[in-house]
Order: sequence, then C-alpha cells, then structure tokens
Amino acid sequence: MSANAAEMLRGVDANSPLEDEELAVEGRTPLRLAWTRLRRDKVSMVALGFVVFICLVALFAPVLTALIGHGPNIQYSNTGLSIYGHPVGPSRAFLLGTDDLGRDVLSRLIYGARVSLEVGVGATAMALVLGLAFGLVSGYYGGPIDALIARFMDIMLAFPVLLFALALVARFGASLTLIILVVAFFQWPLIGRLVRGQVISLREREFVEAARAVGASDLRIMLVEILPNLIALAVVYATLLIPVNIVLEATLSYLGLGIQQPTASWGNMISEAQNGDLYTIAWWVLVFPCVSLFLTTLAFNLFGDGLRDALDPRHGRSNLTGTVGK
Amino acid sequence: MIFGFIFRRLTYLVVVVLLITLATYFIFFAGNAGDLAARFAGHAAGPQAIADTEIRLGLNHGFWYQYWHYLIGLAHGSFGLDFQNQLPVISEIARAFPVTASLVVGAAILWLLIGIPIGIMSAVHPRTKRDRAGTLFALTFLSMPTFVLGVLALLVFYFYLTEAGLHWFPASGYVGLSQSPAQWFVHLILPWFTLALVQAAVYTRLIRSSLLDTLGEDYIRTARAKGLPRRVVIYKHGLRAALTPIITQLGIDVGTLLAGAVVTERIFGLTGLGELSLSALFNGDLPVVAAVVLLAAVFIVVMNTLVDIVYALLDPRVRVR
Repeated sequence: MSANAAEMLRGVDANSPLEDEELAVEGRTPLRLAWTRLRRDKVSMVALGFVVFICLVALFAPVLTALIGHGPNIQYSNTGLSIYGHPVGPSRAFLLGTDDLGRDVLSRLIYGARVSLEVGVGATAMALVLGLAFGLVSGYYGGPIDALIARFMDIMLAFPVLLFALALVARFGASLTLIILVVAFFQWPLIGRLVRGQVISLREREFVEAARAVGASDLRIMLVEILPNLIALAVVYATLLIPVNIVLEATLSYLGLGIQQPTASWGNMISEAQNGDLYTIAWWVLVFPCVSLFLTTLAFNLFGDGLRDALDPRHGRSNLTGTVGK
Repeated sequence: MIFGFIFRRLTYLVVVVLLITLATYFIFFAGNAGDLAARFAGHAAGPQAIADTEIRLGLNHGFWYQYWHYLIGLAHGSFGLDFQNQLPVISEIARAFPVTASLVVGAAILWLLIGIPIGIMSAVHPRTKRDRAGTLFALTFLSMPTFVLGVLALLVFYFYLTEAGLHWFPASGYVGLSQSPAQWFVHLILPWFTLALVQAAVYTRLIRSSLLDTLGEDYIRTARAKGLPRRVVIYKHGLRAALTPIITQLGIDVGTLLAGAVVTERIFGLTGLGELSLSALFNGDLPVVAAVVLLAAVFIVVMNTLVDIVYALLDPRVRVR
C-alpha cells in the first residue's frame, strides 16, 4: 500500500513518458492507472504543457532576455519612448511594447514569471512541509496534543490573512524571503487540517495496527506507514495551492507591499499600469501582465484539477481559495 | 445544552480576539516606535516635538503597558484614538462600515444568484456540454485574481465606453444610499460584479460536487422510485441537503469580507474598512489597524457560530452531537 503511494509520488513528480513505458512491463500500479487517465485528459495535458513552459521561461530568464537583447530594468529612453515621452506599443523592436520608463515589457514579464514561481512554489513547499508535520502529529497522537494543534490551526484560519500579511510586510519591509515566509505561515493550516483528517482515519487501518503489533515506533509508523498514503493528497493540494500563492504575491505587489520596483513582478507591473491612468494611453502595459497572471493561474488550476480526478476520481474538490486577495 | 454551546463560543471568541490583537501589537512594536512618533510629529518637528508626540500617542510606554491599556479600553467599549487625527477610531469605523457592507452584501446576493444556478446545471447534467461550460466558467474566474478582473473591468467598461461616448459607469467613488439611491447603485455595479464573479466560481464548484454527491444517495433513488417528478426530487430533496457546504462557505466569506474587501475597495476607490485599514497600515496607525483586525476576527467567529446554528436548523442530525 505504502509502496504504491511512493510510486505515485515518483511518477507525479517525473511525469515522464519514458518511465511510464518501463512501468508498463511491471503491471498496472495505481500510478500507471492515474497517468493513463491523466494522459487521456487533453485539457490537463495542455495545462501541464503551459506549466512546464512557464517554469522553463522562469528558469532561463537571463538567457531569454539576452536573446531579446533588452534587460528587464534598463530604460531605453531613446528607442523605448515616443518623442512625447510616452511608452511605445508592440513593434518589432519591442515585441510587447515598453512601459512609462521605456523598459521592455516582455523582458519584465519574463523576470516577473521568476518572482511568481519563486513565491508560488517556495511558499507552497514550506506550507506543505509544515502542514504535513503538524497534521501528522496532531492526527496520529490525538488527545491533548491534537486538541492544542487543531485549535491553533482553527485560530490561524480566523486571522484576516491579507491584513496580517500586509502588516508584516509594512513593518519589516518587503523582501522576497519575507513574502514567501508570510504566505507559507498563513497557508499551512489549510494543508494541516486536511492532513489531520486523513491521518485520523488512516491510523485505525489494519496496516498501521500490523506495524504497531510488530513493534514499530511511533515515528516509523508516521513516516513509513502513514506518510506515503498522504502523498497523493499532498501533491494535489500543493498543485492547487501554488496558483493561490501566486495570486497572493501578485496582490501584495499590486497593493505596493510586495516586490518593489525596479524588480519586476506581474503584480507591480499591473499597479504601475494603473498609476496615473497609464493604461488609457498604453493598453499593453496593463493587458500583458494580466494575461500572463491569468494564464499561469488557470494552467495550474486546470492541471491540479485533472491530477486530482486522475489520482482519485471520486474525491470532491474542497475549497482552498477562500477570500484571500479579494 | 444551548447555553453550553453559547458559552463555549464566547470563550473561543474572546481567546481569538486576545490572540489576534496581541499579534497585531506584537508586529507593531517589533519595529522601532520612535520612528512613528517622528512621522506623526510632522516634517519639520524638532526633537522636543517628537518627544511630545511620543508621549501624546503613548508610545513611550512599553509593549505590555500599551497592550493592557488597550484591553482596558476595549472592556469599556472604546477602540481608542487614532494616531493621525486623534479622533475616536470607532467613528471612523462607523463611517467606513456602510461602504463595505453595501459592497459585500450586494456582491453576496449576486454571487449566489450566478453561482448556484450554474452549479445546479452542471450537477444535473454531469459530463455534458452544459457541465463543461459550467466548469469552464468556474475555472476561468477561479483563476482570475480580483485585481486583474477589476482593472480590466475599468479598462473596458469605464475607459472604452466613456471614450465611445457612453458615460454608463463612473471610474470610482462611493455615494451613500441615503444621499442618492440611484447613484449608490450605479457606483457599485462594477465593484459588485468584480467581487461576485470571482466568488461565484467558488460556489459553482461547491454546489456541483455537493449536489452530485447528494443525488447519488439512496433516498433520492427512493423518491424517484415512488414516482415523484424529477424537478421536485432535485430541488426539494436534493438541494436542501446540498446546501450545507454552501452555507459554511457563505459564512466564512461574508465574515472575512465584511472586515474589508481590500483589493476591490482599492481599485474602485471605495472608502470602506479595507481602504481604511490599508491606509492605516501605510501610515503605521496602530489603533485603526488593531480595530479592523479585531473586527475581522469577530466577524469570522460570529459568522461561523451562525453557520453552526443554521446547520442545526437545516439538518436535524447535527443536533444529536
């Protein structure tokens, strides 16, 4: 049982058709079934393609901008601004136009992808680790430890997340690390609560009882017996939490308390487009960051949705979005 | 039993409020309070003026003294005076609350009106074209950050329409309901839709999965088997049970948003609680921030309690526990 789940993780992480072929010889593991289902789902595969594309763009941002020939923070005051000092529209020189300072919008979008993914993936990974750890301990031990952790998670969820994130950033100054920490800090109880619920039902199962009967320690039971069964759930919710966190970062940056200029982030690009109604003379400074943000979030959501259906077709979607960033 | 329930809830509320205000004060005093005195003393203030301001705002006292003082104020029903203008915080909140309430209540009605029918349509015809259209709607708006939808709405419905000579929507601002109901309505249309479309997506997903689960239950088959019309079975038997997760979500959402729909308010220049707290955050105006944060926690806990009560009314099984 746990071996199968571990297989699942490896497969979901890799998503490589090569490994898929190798597994075919071994038989139909749950991973194989899930991957077959996922591959049949065209929408999910297109979404996965886009997710991979955005990751590559973020990873090779310096290479891409070098190819374009425009740095993200360089102000091309001669070529990038019209004689009236206005941004120039999409043209051969600037594929997606320039902003009010004559900077290349495309180059800034590429570097913005980097920020979005750093926060999206970084904060999600941290929230996942914290959520798994606390959820496991809470669900497994039960009693007063569980009561304490569960109550704490409940209280955390009663915090007005956006306000507290804003307060923290306003107090300590915006930096990428702080934003990742703040986002993770307010998201882990969501994962923790889900994990706790799963663990409570898992700990009564026969294989856990068997492990206990042969004298396995609590730590071993938690990590070797129970944890692998949580991986599918964790991967699905991580995929669905990444877009939530990307939006949270963009929202903070939009409100002026996230990534600061001149560093490009999709959120602060949109805020800049609105600044002084710039978008009324240059639609491209507003529309392209909006589209990038939307497509990236959509791709993660579609892929996460497909992944969940593929791993467990019966499982309903619980809501992770909440009202953060409204 | 009911008294026990209320007592437990009240205790929980007090603990949450204590922790949240404590966290607010902690974040605030973790930095350097002296800088704040300098900021509120004005641009040209000398050392003496800054020291006076520090005393006037009570910043010279330590963290615990300040917090204790704040709690005593709360017990007397006072949120204190704001740093900026030395006015009672409660009056600023009283001024901002109707704006946020107008926005949130209107949007909530709208998102239920949009989300629930689409969700029902998806669940009643699963895996058809109509279901896929519903899912597409949901995922589109679920992936649309509120501020993206808001600024795009401004671009299209304010700027392009106005450019085309159609002055249908104002750019921003709020007009009180008592001042001019028509203007109040016109000013809120774009904010309502911005907030509602994003939220409706969540409700579409919720009602679809919840109704699909319910329609698979035995008692639904029994109702069909005894010859009841499909419509009656879906709307009377199915929907009633499927509504419980919707009510939970509605409680959480309305509770959270009532303390300020920060982003929507900012985009459309609505001077509600969100905008109030945001400007207070930028200014370092602790009493205002603390009051809004406290209000948010109270709203969330109170809405959760209301949800539990509605549950018990809707679903008799809950009462047994």
